[in-house]
Amino acid sequence: MSPVLIARELTRHYRVSRGLFRPAATVQALNGLSFELQAGQTLAVVGESGCGKSTLARALTLIEEPTAGSLQIAGQDVAGTNNYRQLRRDVQMVFQNPYASLNPRRRIGDQLAEPLAINTDLSAAECRARVLAMLERVGLRAEHYARYPHTFSGGQRQRIAIARAMILRPKVLVADEPTSALDVSVQAQVLNLFLELQQQFGTAYVFISHNLAVVRHVADRLLVMYLGRPMELGPAERIYRKPLHPYTQALLAATPSLHPEPGRQRVRLAGEPPNPLEPPAGCVFHPRCPYATERCRGEVPALREVDGREVACHYAERFV
Amino acid sequence: MSLLEIDNLSVRYGPADAPPVVDGLDLRLETGEVLAIVGESGSGKSQAMLALLGLVDPPGRVAAERLHFAGHDLLALGERRRRRLLGKELAMVFQDPLAALDPSYRVGFQLAEVLRQHLGLRGAAARRRALDLLEQVEIPAAASRLDAYPHQLSGGMAQRVAIALAIAAEPRLLIADEPTTALDVTIQAQILELLLNLQRERGMALLLISHDLAVVAECARRVCVMYAGQAVEVGALPGLFDTPAHPYTEALLAALPEAGTARRPLRGLPGSVPGRHDRPAGCLLSPRCAYVQDDCRARRPPLDAKRQSQARCFHPRNQETP
Repeated sequence: MSPVLIARELTRHYRVSRGLFRPAATVQALNGLSFELQAGQTLAVVGESGCGKSTLARALTLIEEPTAGSLQIAGQDVAGTNNYRQLRRDVQMVFQNPYASLNPRRRIGDQLAEPLAINTDLSAAECRARVLAMLERVGLRAEHYARYPHTFSGGQRQRIAIARAMILRPKVLVADEPTSALDVSVQAQVLNLFLELQQQFGTAYVFISHNLAVVRHVADRLLVMYLGRPMELGPAERIYRKPLHPYTQALLAATPSLHPEPGRQRVRLAGEPPNPLEPPAGCVFHPRCPYATERCRGEVPALREVDGREVACHYAERFV
Repeated sequence: MSLLEIDNLSVRYGPADAPPVVDGLDLRLETGEVLAIVGESGSGKSQAMLALLGLVDPPGRVAAERLHFAGHDLLALGERRRRRLLGKELAMVFQDPLAALDPSYRVGFQLAEVLRQHLGLRGAAARRRALDLLEQVEIPAAASRLDAYPHQLSGGMAQRVAIALAIAAEPRLLIADEPTTALDVTIQAQILELLLNLQRERGMALLLISHDLAVVAECARRVCVMYAGQAVEVGALPGLFDTPAHPYTEALLAALPEAGTARRPLRGLPGSVPGRHDRPAGCLLSPRCAYVQDDCRARRPPLDAKRQSQARCFHPRNQETP
């Protein structure tokens, strides 16, 4: 089976003005990212603020064109195509804040029917039937069709946003922090819904999150990013069991656990991510890395295969 | 006498018969203790702490049988004496550090203001002490940060400054309301470690308010779980998270994805927290509870204050059968 999503050396740079008398700078928000995603699978993207997660989401959903590199969605190359309408049907998105992503002035039934009216030849009655079926599928009722967003709780709104994204049966769904704004018990309901819909429709998910516990629950493959660069990429369980990149190790160690082992010594990461306008030379992680050497300061580590996943660290073998 | 004694605290908004947002909260906190209050949105955890600090403004109303901190009756305290107490003996750190800091003043000035107000320090002495405080909260190049404005700081640095402000007058109790919710996970770990180190070194009591059970499990020795304005379970950690007695605590724990739950449905609670005006007559959890029985729908269960570990439930879980 061929992958539904293929990214090759995907790159996105922004030019940032620094004032009248200083030359504009470049932020390398996304730098040389390559991955493939099969139908029915979930690629989870984790990393801290400024790591390029959301830039990746914008590139995948065709909101912004990549500066360089290529992107293939369902066998179609995005660059040089004028068939954006079909591509946008195939890639849909769910956002973080369900209070901002729904139009407060429109009934939710109409908001769900709009993608069908634009993209399909269905009659009004057929659209309505599809919307009602989808509402029921995400756990809402027929009488919710004519209500406005303000009458729903955060969890219900996120269900509506998911219904709207899934109603065109996209091949790829990009979800950017879809449960970060929700309470724990509601988050569980929404995560369950994501997994059920994936089983039913075989959709590929790109699931962006900073919460490593949530990611472990949904991910087949894991991509760890830092300052716009991929650090580690591979099968999620393999990486969780034995992270090879020092940054992945630090992220996992920093994640609080419900059952902390008493007296556990953690790898504490000192400092904060560097200014993206002035990324460090060599490995971008070296200023915070407890194992950094002279080589890390000078030479950018390439992403290479080690122990069944790809790692961008000169010394990955040390941790196998 | 405990450092903090709260008996039957309630906070109401609107008409006199309106349902309270905090409903009959009892709490004790000892000197040097780390206690966490955990709950979802609308559980009343933040409102309870605002009431404690006297920050509930009309039309909000606070009532309590007892609201004592270090021998002071917080309800009877006049405005002047309250101002002398707050920020000195009793300090608070909020979720959003950039909202807690004044954007128009330099960090050093804001620190000096606290030191002048509460410790009477001025001029060079205040500045020296301010520098000292920034070093204690582990801000690199602290001397240069004294002259920084809040917008020049990252979120983690701004939270460190907010903590420095809070501990400037050596409080006996620090209340931290979601202090790491806005921060990245590696920064969250640094800030939690800093708070716990300061707590240990100074013998300060720490009251941590959080929605994150894992953060609570890592930090606190005792926890109070709140739901829809009421404390539903109070007890010691880690025991309480291993064998929760209240079905709500059990459901919260089951709703969290952990290692080993991958791709399996999570057992959560159906529905959502009842709003202030659609609270059920019986137990507040009864419409969502998996173990609900007739008596739960008829009456509200009490919280037995006499026992060490307490749950507001007629049919608690994980009880040893005699």
